[in-house]
Amino acid sequence: MDMRLSHRIGVWIGIVVLLVWSVGPIYWAIATSLTPTPDLMSQPIHFFPEHLTLNHYQRLAGFGYIASGDVTVASQFRNALLNSVITALAATIVSIFLASLGGYAFARLEFPGRQTIFFIVIATIAIPGYTVLIPLYRLMVSLKLIDTYLGVTLIYLSAFLPLALWLMRSVFQQLPLSIEEAARIDGAGRLTILFRIVMPLAAPGLVAASIITFLGAWGQYMVPLIFSPTRTKPLTVLIPEFSTKNFVDYGLINAAGTIAMIVPILIVVFLNRYLVSGLTAGSVK
Amino acid sequence: MTLAAAVPARRKGDKGIDGSADARLGLMLAAPIVFAMLSLVLIPVASTLWESMHRVNPMMAGTPFIGLQHYRDLLADPIVNEAWRNTFIYVAICVALETAGGIGAALLINQAGRWRRYLLAAVVLPWALPGVVNAVVWGWIYNPAFGLLNGILVAAGLDFEKFVWFNDRTIALFAVSLVHVWRMLPLTAVIVLAALQSIPNDLYEAARIDGASRPKMFANITLPLIRGGIAIAMTQSTVAAFNFFDEAWILTGSARGTRPILVQVYLEAFQNLHFSYGMALSVLVMIASLAVSLVYVLRVQRVTRLD
Repeated sequence: MDMRLSHRIGVWIGIVVLLVWSVGPIYWAIATSLTPTPDLMSQPIHFFPEHLTLNHYQRLAGFGYIASGDVTVASQFRNALLNSVITALAATIVSIFLASLGGYAFARLEFPGRQTIFFIVIATIAIPGYTVLIPLYRLMVSLKLIDTYLGVTLIYLSAFLPLALWLMRSVFQQLPLSIEEAARIDGAGRLTILFRIVMPLAAPGLVAASIITFLGAWGQYMVPLIFSPTRTKPLTVLIPEFSTKNFVDYGLINAAGTIAMIVPILIVVFLNRYLVSGLTAGSVK
Repeated sequence: MTLAAAVPARRKGDKGIDGSADARLGLMLAAPIVFAMLSLVLIPVASTLWESMHRVNPMMAGTPFIGLQHYRDLLADPIVNEAWRNTFIYVAICVALETAGGIGAALLINQAGRWRRYLLAAVVLPWALPGVVNAVVWGWIYNPAFGLLNGILVAAGLDFEKFVWFNDRTIALFAVSLVHVWRMLPLTAVIVLAALQSIPNDLYEAARIDGASRPKMFANITLPLIRGGIAIAMTQSTVAAFNFFDEAWILTGSARGTRPILVQVYLEAFQNLHFSYGMALSVLVMIASLAVSLVYVLRVQRVTRLD
């Protein structure tokens, strides 16, 4: 009995440490974003904010009492937020569309070169993305696609398609074949079967693959740093720029960071089941 | 494992009556993927290999063939070698901490009972966040005067007032690694957790009846059965640490003492505009990363065969 009690206490201490480690920095970002700037520059520091303010968020949104320099901050931030949403959604929609059609083909349809093509596409996961960044940069320059949504979406597509394809194929392979066979005997065509019967059954897998692709695109930094320098600049490129001036505005940076974290946090809170299933399926290669 | 999963799905009777229609549809659905991967990955890789043997530099006229000259220069370049050293240190620190921490986290989640769902969500969270944002937040935590870390250490009575974490090279490498570990540890935890869950409970029951202690059960049941999962997780950690860029670039910029090899590639290609020199370096990184992955894959195969 004594052993069991000490074991339980050990487990609970471990759990508390794990929670502090995982959530502590996120708490600190949110707490900082709600603290007035003078309070941030005081010693000793306060682990819980003494006064709360929405000033940093107001400056990002461009509402309320703001200084004149904040007008550019607000418009830059709005654009970057919009760019992040557009590019991440576009990358997800295009990747998942192609990956689900292709995944079905690789799982269920016999065609020449099927195994070879699949193997080559999956093998590209092992090629580090930056090996191709320099030639892609010159390709995009010659196609005049630098700083366009289309250009960034294409690069995200090449980066995220293989994993999405891998996930979708394994999802289709796990579906029972008998349903499709029954539908075929009833005279349904392949595409009818695919869109009316298979896709709805594969919905959990579609959600998992979409989440992983979306989070990957949402958090990308190096690709937009090179390919989206100004007009299509996303949050991940804009936020570090807030700190390159002489004075680092930590309240503003943490408020912007918190906004960039909200979407991933919501996904984890509400869709963690799908995310974890996708992560484990994607890693067991 | 890929093949084992694929083979049962290939059915003998699958060709059926409309075999040629299936083949046409299959090719049609696969065509966009083939086109995208060819034009955006495979041809660029080939062109990287080819151009790394030329002098491509917007500041200099012509692109003469220079063979392996870039590769010879790279091996002799002291700055590049320093970046390699940093990357290997990052790989060692990150893989060790992520593996140990990930296994610990998975074991804790597995024992958390009805809180398990919430604990899992909390642990996964850092992985889902943008690496750049993590780096910015941690940069603030490491702030010498007003940072959380020094605040905690001072509150604990230690002499860390205005301690600068990025002055000393060894400490800086650790501090930067830790931010990467924070983001990547969840992946190891999730993979190991999946392996833990696949262990049948009767094994523990039987061991308990035989009077085995907890550490004994862990060493003789748990560890051997999650070895495959650990190896997969370590592959992921290694590749991710080789690809290390975001956190290092945000936290310490181009500082040579903490500059990983990928920042070196970025600086060569996009700041110094030595395109082909950067390409040659990225080819070396690709080879190193692929070689390490291959070692792990072969080991995983051996381990899984033993299982």
